[in-house]
Amino acid sequence: MKPAPFEYHRPTTVAEAAEVLADREDAELLAGNQSLGIVMANRLATPDHLVDLNAVEDLDYVAERADGDAVAVGAMTTHRTIERSDLLAERVPMLPEAAEQIAGPSVRNRGTLGGSVGEADPAGNYPAALLALDATLELVSADGEREVPVSDYFVAYMFTDLGEDEIIAAARIPTDPFPPARTGMAFLELKPAAQTWPTVSAATAVRVDDPDADAPVVEEALLALANAADVPLRVEDAEAAVEDEPLSAAALDAAAAAATEAADPEGEMHADREFKEEVAGEYARRSLALSYDRATNGETDVNVPTDE
Amino acid sequence: MMEFEGEFESDLPRDELWNYFTDPDVLADCAPGTDSIELESPHEVTATISVGVGSVKPTFDVEMVVTRADRPELLEMQADGSASRNAFDAVAEMDLREGDDGGTVAQWTARTDVSGMIASLGQRALGSVTDKLVTDFFEDLEATAREGDPAESKLEAKPDAEASLED
Ligand SMILES: Cc1cc2nc3c(=O)[nH]c(=O)nc-3n(C[C@H](O)[C@H](O)[C@H](O)COP(=O)(O)OP(=O)(O)OC[C@H]3O[C@@H](n4cnc5c(N)ncnc54)[C@H](O)[C@@H]3O)c2cc1C
Repeated sequence: MKPAPFEYHRPTTVAEAAEVLADREDAELLAGNQSLGIVMANRLATPDHLVDLNAVEDLDYVAERADGDAVAVGAMTTHRTIERSDLLAERVPMLPEAAEQIAGPSVRNRGTLGGSVGEADPAGNYPAALLALDATLELVSADGEREVPVSDYFVAYMFTDLGEDEIIAAARIPTDPFPPARTGMAFLELKPAAQTWPTVSAATAVRVDDPDADAPVVEEALLALANAADVPLRVEDAEAAVEDEPLSAAALDAAAAAATEAADPEGEMHADREFKEEVAGEYARRSLALSYDRATNGETDVNVPTDE
Repeated sequence: MMEFEGEFESDLPRDELWNYFTDPDVLADCAPGTDSIELESPHEVTATISVGVGSVKPTFDVEMVVTRADRPELLEMQADGSASRNAFDAVAEMDLREGDDGGTVAQWTARTDVSGMIASLGQRALGSVTDKLVTDFFEDLEATAREGDPAESKLEAKPDAEASLED
């Protein structure tokens, strides 16, 4: 099918885009068009106006914020750019790792961070990654700017706190809690085939007290799961299970059990509920272990399982 | 047909909350996505409500009839809504039980038939969103009552009405 007719707008600044959104009823933003195009072609969405953000260059960047305690990723930054960003690789390696596992090259070349967060699919890579990074979204509308912590943004299945006339401008990730020398991060996913959406993913960040100690203590652990519930799922019980002690097999078991317990997934064709709950636990375990390993320069006794 | 249900607790008494549940002005303020509500008769309101899930963002014209109103215990409504490429029929029932310390336990159920593009979202997605919207609604309504904003019960049951999902 072809999409229903619409009027096309191509603003060049965020302010102009916000203006168009404010003035038009039933307008939809267009980013990489990797999801919206499919939805519109099936006539599941029939907006009267399309506001293409591709000419808004101010939304395409990865940068350290002036005060130095955060990195920000503009909404129109593509998966490919995120995957290849040296700054992100150094400061928040979870994001490039999440980006490089999204679909195939054509989706990665065009799909954007803002589109993924705007779409809010609970299986999305960035929603879970940004939740595990305690990120904040910067939103812009004709009325001004607003900030929403990612933990408040995802409300229900594909349903967010974003207003009708708001634009996601950027995701801001605090870097103070994650000093690279003492932090390890991981984004692990199970997927049936390379080009498709994952069954369940786990995003983790682990900070230890002293990476060179014999048994580094986990000071802080953050864990979020994708596709394990209607929204990206932060599992604080799993975090607590591994915090304040060196990582042990027993702590990992407790964390895995907590993730399985917290998961409330929807069964799918190739993965029923029980299987997804199990995968949630297993990937929480692997991802925490890998993050700890990375935080401690790999010199630990805890084995990171690598088999599928 | 899809079925949704949930529960909400408040420490405010049933009789007090009842006025808020049956005041169209309060409903207009608290019901998420409501652009306008008109009281057509003591047992009928019409409203425009927009609720979007992802890029599916229909605006419904809704007609709602109060089919049972047993103060302060039970409120039942039948609603149908239509939007471009979407429609729904729904019967919603709310039981208000007295909770501990004179508070209220509100149990709600809704049965609905949906068609059009929202149907493609499925029970799970719509359930997740409905849950969130109803919870917001109860919380806003309770906050309004707690602040002591006046409310006047204006809705009553349509005589001899029986709620059913149309085929
Ligand atoms: C085959 C395939 C496999 C995929 N696999 C994965 C996967 O494994 N993991 C994963 O995370 N994703 C996956 N995706 C989704 C991919 O990441 C999409 O690119 C992304 O979800 C949407 O981004 P987009 O830039 O293409 O947005 P679009 O499709 O252009 O827009 C999507 C929605 O976001 C809204 N939007 C866009 N930009 C903004 C903004 N700045 N502010 C507010 N709202 C905005 C739009 O209005 C629209 O509703 C897959 C997609 C395909 C086609």
